[in-house]
Amino acid sequence: MVDAATAAAVAPVAAPLLDAAGLKALGAAIAIAGTGIASGWAEKDIGSAAIGAMAENEALFGKGLILTVIPETIVIFGLVVALLINSA
Amino acid sequence: MSRPKRMTKAIIVGHKSVLKRTIDVLHDSSLFHIEDFVEDESGFKISKPFQNAEEVSKKLVKIRSISNYLGIEETRQAVQKKDVVLRELDAKLDKLDNAISEKTKTINKNETDLKDLETQKKELLPFLSINLDFDYYRGYENLKVFAGSVKGNLEESQISRVTQAYELFFDPQAKTIVLFVANKDADKVYEALQDLEFKELRVPERGGIPSELLKVAEQKEVDTSNKIESLKAEVESIKSQYTDFLLASDEVLSIENQKAELPLRIATSENAFIIEGWVPSDKYDILVNGINDATSGRAYVTSIPIEHDEGGEGHTEEHTEEHIPVEYNNSKVVAPMQAILDLYSRPKYTEIDPASILLITFPLIYGMILGDIGYAIILGAMALAIKTFVKSDAVKPLMNILIYCQISTFIFGIIYGEFLGFPLASLHTAHGVIPGLLPFWNTVTLFPGIAGEEFTFPVHRTHMVMTMIAVSVGVGLLHLNLGYILGFINISHHSLKHAVLEKGSWIVIELGALVAAIGYFGDISGLTYVGAGILVLGIVMLTMGEGIKGPIELPSLMGNALSYARIIAVGLSSIYIASTVNDIAFGMIWADHSKIGFAAVAAIIVFILGHGLNTVLSIIAPGLHSLRLQYVEFFGKFYQGGGKKFNPFGYIRKYTED
Repeated sequence: MVDAATAAAVAPVAAPLLDAAGLKALGAAIAIAGTGIASGWAEKDIGSAAIGAMAENEALFGKGLILTVIPETIVIFGLVVALLINSA
Repeated sequence: MSRPKRMTKAIIVGHKSVLKRTIDVLHDSSLFHIEDFVEDESGFKISKPFQNAEEVSKKLVKIRSISNYLGIEETRQAVQKKDVVLRELDAKLDKLDNAISEKTKTINKNETDLKDLETQKKELLPFLSINLDFDYYRGYENLKVFAGSVKGNLEESQISRVTQAYELFFDPQAKTIVLFVANKDADKVYEALQDLEFKELRVPERGGIPSELLKVAEQKEVDTSNKIESLKAEVESIKSQYTDFLLASDEVLSIENQKAELPLRIATSENAFIIEGWVPSDKYDILVNGINDATSGRAYVTSIPIEHDEGGEGHTEEHTEEHIPVEYNNSKVVAPMQAILDLYSRPKYTEIDPASILLITFPLIYGMILGDIGYAIILGAMALAIKTFVKSDAVKPLMNILIYCQISTFIFGIIYGEFLGFPLASLHTAHGVIPGLLPFWNTVTLFPGIAGEEFTFPVHRTHMVMTMIAVSVGVGLLHLNLGYILGFINISHHSLKHAVLEKGSWIVIELGALVAAIGYFGDISGLTYVGAGILVLGIVMLTMGEGIKGPIELPSLMGNALSYARIIAVGLSSIYIASTVNDIAFGMIWADHSKIGFAAVAAIIVFILGHGLNTVLSIIAPGLHSLRLQYVEFFGKFYQGGGKKFNPFGYIRKYTED
């Protein structure tokens, strides 16, 4: 009896599942994950088309690379947002 | 910042009797980019190839097909005299051709034999365990032989039910059945067999016992394979014997072929020829003297002024200046960066050649991303080693670029104070002191950064992310504006007004935004309005220069600038990989530092593998991102590209000399 009572008294109040810091971290994670998937999705089609074009004409490597990496800016935006959330 | 080599348009006119000599001298000098003649209504026609063209190309085809068959690769060979090669060519080529065709014929025959033996073996296999001489299978008057395969299990009763007069051989494993019955019972037996899904097998025609036949076939197979091997070895020895000859004669004949087919690219009349093309302006006199010497002045060379396009809209130019072939005009130090330009597109004749600017900006951004003394040393040493040991013309410029990048990485490594992911200087934070590798180096706080961070030396990127994002974007803005300035210079070459409206307007817009921002944050409302005014002026200028397309592209300025945040982002990922490897490896060593045991060995392996992986990533990630920032953000502001390569009539000789 005594033991159980002391244990109950000592045990800290259960922390809420999502406190402010947790929500912030989740928000940052969503920003990165969403934009990451978005860039990948966009680059998928461009990349395969670029490979196809390169198979025809290797001189298109430069242009293919440029077109493929254009959507990458999306994930950079996501990263900036995530860092802003974390540092705010 | 240079422009491509200045070119002079030259026209060579002469009597056909000196055409051959003219072509020889043009080819040897390798200075003249020939413009192919297109037949028009002028009355000039393209001519026929020289008489020897057909013979030369026949031999060339033969040599190339032999080289292809032997798999000759371009290697370093002793340089041979052209006359000697030409003199020996026919005899040697015939000999080689005969030897090769004889060998290939024998090889082919043996390979066919090998295939036949394979088929024979396959036919034998089902009969192997029955092992009955094949002569017993045929030649009967009153007996019918069923030889084939069945599905399922054969019970002898199934046959004895039909007839008593039979002889049955059955191999339950291969499901092969050989059944001898009287002719009169054949149909009934066949029906019974049909129920078992009987399939007839071909009985080999030759007589003999299967196991012995198999042995013979296997022996023959081994012999034939050995024969093929030895023939191939002979072909190999022919290859090594004739490699130098094939490479040299290919070169000599290619040159002859180029010369012999040139008349197809030039304008000729009954008795005269005209060759039109481009020569670097500083080499014009050499060309003229060379031709005059070779033809004793009987071919006439003259230069034609390039039609300049002054202030027009640029459509006349499409037929003149933009189509001039482009030869880079860079020093040896800058030359490697041409590889990066060629990967994108060669500059036009009228454009600034940005190779010398890339020499600074590309390694700068690469270094800002990687910024680690350790990786700089590893990669620099690797690039130097590859450059020394690999004698390929394609690899050399890339290694030079990598070396430039590592110099910049080393400098930024000092600024960031990083060595293989370890901080070199100790850092005092609110949570305590983070020790550095060098005990005497303490971090100095210079001034406050953004979001409560402090700007320090060395720069601890992981502790001042927001500040570094701002710095990256700032570098980006400088880079972009450099692009606008280059674009301004490019266009001002034709029209100052267009330059101001199309490129200058962007700078005005940025200036306006800056002034407005200072006014807004500094609480000087007057300045805010001035800034807004400048901004509007810039937008109006842009609309005048580029039309409605201009204002639509305005947000791209922000996107482009923010894109430079990748400098810190990619850099951080590299640091975190490196420091994770360090944490794991050193955590393992410290776990039992009392003795050198398994953990210590494993820690070393983890350390080497981890940093090996990160070293490879350190070429790819910063390289690609730096390249992208040049290609997409920077080049987008000024660079057009699409220039024609200056491709002089001539040949780079490797295996022969005069």
